[in-house]
Amino acid sequence: MREIEKLYDRIIQRVNINLRELEFDVNPYAQKIIPFVQMVKFYAFYGISPHHPLNFQFRNSNLAGSYFLGRCKVVNSLLYKSDIRGDELKKQGSLFLYQDYAIPVSEDEEIDIQDSLLIKTLVHNYSHDPETLEKFFITDTISMNYANIHGSPSNGCFLGAFATVDLTTIRDCVIGNFSYVQAGEISHLNIEPGTIWVRNPGKFNFFYQHQKEKMQDYIYFTAGSPPQGLFMDFIEDRKEAFQRIFDMVNMEHAIPVPNNASLDRFAVTKGQTHIGENVLVAQRAFIQNSWLGKGSNAQENCFIINSRLEGCNVTAHGTKICEADLGRHVFVGFNSFLRGRPDARLQIGADSIIMPHTIIDSREPLTIPAGHLVWGMIKTPKDLDTNSLSIEKFEAINSHTAIGGLFFEGSGAEFILTFRDRIEHILQANGAFFNGSDQKGHAQKNQYISFNTIQPYPEGMKKGLFPTIIIEP
Amino acid sequence: MNYTAKDLMMPFSEYATIPEGSTLFEAVLALENTKIEHGGAFYSHWMVLVMGKDGKVLGKLSQLDILRALAPRDKFTDKLDEMGKFGFSSNFISTMREQYRMQKTSLESGLMLSALIHLYPEEYQTHKSSLEEFYAQPGTLNMKVEDFMKTIAENEFVDENTSLDTAAHMMFMKNRLSLLVTREDRFIGVLRLSDVFSAVLNTMKEAVSEEKAI
Repeated sequence: MREIEKLYDRIIQRVNINLRELEFDVNPYAQKIIPFVQMVKFYAFYGISPHHPLNFQFRNSNLAGSYFLGRCKVVNSLLYKSDIRGDELKKQGSLFLYQDYAIPVSEDEEIDIQDSLLIKTLVHNYSHDPETLEKFFITDTISMNYANIHGSPSNGCFLGAFATVDLTTIRDCVIGNFSYVQAGEISHLNIEPGTIWVRNPGKFNFFYQHQKEKMQDYIYFTAGSPPQGLFMDFIEDRKEAFQRIFDMVNMEHAIPVPNNASLDRFAVTKGQTHIGENVLVAQRAFIQNSWLGKGSNAQENCFIINSRLEGCNVTAHGTKICEADLGRHVFVGFNSFLRGRPDARLQIGADSIIMPHTIIDSREPLTIPAGHLVWGMIKTPKDLDTNSLSIEKFEAINSHTAIGGLFFEGSGAEFILTFRDRIEHILQANGAFFNGSDQKGHAQKNQYISFNTIQPYPEGMKKGLFPTIIIEP
Repeated sequence: MNYTAKDLMMPFSEYATIPEGSTLFEAVLALENTKIEHGGAFYSHWMVLVMGKDGKVLGKLSQLDILRALAPRDKFTDKLDEMGKFGFSSNFISTMREQYRMQKTSLESGLMLSALIHLYPEEYQTHKSSLEEFYAQPGTLNMKVEDFMKTIAENEFVDENTSLDTAAHMMFMKNRLSLLVTREDRFIGVLRLSDVFSAVLNTMKEAVSEEKAI
């Protein structure tokens, strides 16, 4: 047996041990989609920039098609086409604010991945756990296609396809397909597919579950077969455009990019696309015939097609927007799927918040008025009655409510305030407010990145494994 | 007085039992018909023992277990109950449950019925469903006691010579309302919380009066 297969078995065993209490076996999920053939072929690449710390350690791992930035360590792991984006890690000497504490960060934070298998996964942000400030750990964890591990240290967990954990430390948990969890700290939970759970203890609790049958049209992934459904087909149909940009060493942008904006060389742009000032387009984003107004951003694995984003729009990791017009300052959360039709466009009014993992897929023209909170699955204009509420009315909730499939307890005003603060922070971090001298963010800093590639052993027992590599300034 | 478990227990022969295979309705009747005289007073048992064919205790059935078995439940109420683990308060869960019950009984549209239709459309019924109707269903009445009894855990047995304070300790540490008293491997009686509490109270009162006498 080759080393890479031994490594796979070792990871499966470690994760299963952690998940034994939940009686969850990860092997049937992973074994069908682990692409050993491709894993020995693809190079990995890392970014070098004056704005980010440079410190990589890779040992006994496969990193095929994966991207690294910042300070990352990968040991005994298999990473396939994953983005390990360490451009928001904490810096030595900074203060981490938690409740009434201001805790000094003693050294530059590091993303530390050990004994894990990540497939087409995005790792971003920084550890929000006050107990592990300098280490954003991902250990004994398996994550499937298009999962997001965002500011969430993880130990002994399985994340299904299109699952997101956000600002949450997770231990010994199963996060179902297309589930979004932002709950601070959780352990030993098996989260059903299609759950959207946002909790701040003592302040609010937002809980929604997609109807199983309806969701399966979009993503269906069960033991013994690869992920299927509309989300997978959608990405597969556009896969070819990415192959070209990964095959070429030097890429020139095909469209004009303002000098205060950033279009990643591993992003795809097609047709008449406009990149406004202070715009950030991250790697693996796909923009076609679309207008990105000043200060907007498109994160990893985003698809924006035949759409117009007026400005200061946040399009979080994995979001898909087609045939839509979004007013200013609209936030679209992780992995949301918003699809109008050429003859039935989707209009979203300014300052609206589209919750993470929302599906809007209408064949009729659909308009969401300005200042609305939207969640769940909307397939007709009538569905808006049970899947949206004006932000003003939501702010007035002060005990609890249930609307359609949504259960909410706590303060609506606190909930909206938390989202508003987060959106401002994201815009700021992405450089949306850069004024020519101050408030630089990723849109300005990420222009100055060059990329180096690294390769695995081509033959022998170590075929597919990358040699031990330590890269320092 | 130095009480032991055997001094305070209710002997097995006086305790309410039903054989395995009995139905929920038989268990309800068994509990109702167990007014017994003990120590000069009449008591109602709050628990019956489920006996196996070999004469061994298989499990126990309390009023709480029967209420649990008689609680109308469906996928939606199970979902509401589960929400505790997602951090929702008990007050929230009972409020939602109460709203659901009202809407199901009246079939007047409301937030809970709309949540039910969202999550489990196949569970929605167009006829009003009352509690009485549910209690009288053959499926409810004929449930076997083995399906909702509590099996006896190892730390629920206590030797007949165990002292009062150790028995009391076992009860409050494990939140037990009763312990099964054994002689060697044989089960001989039930030590109830009320018996232990009365004995502790008596001992305390005796000690106080002796103190005063000195």
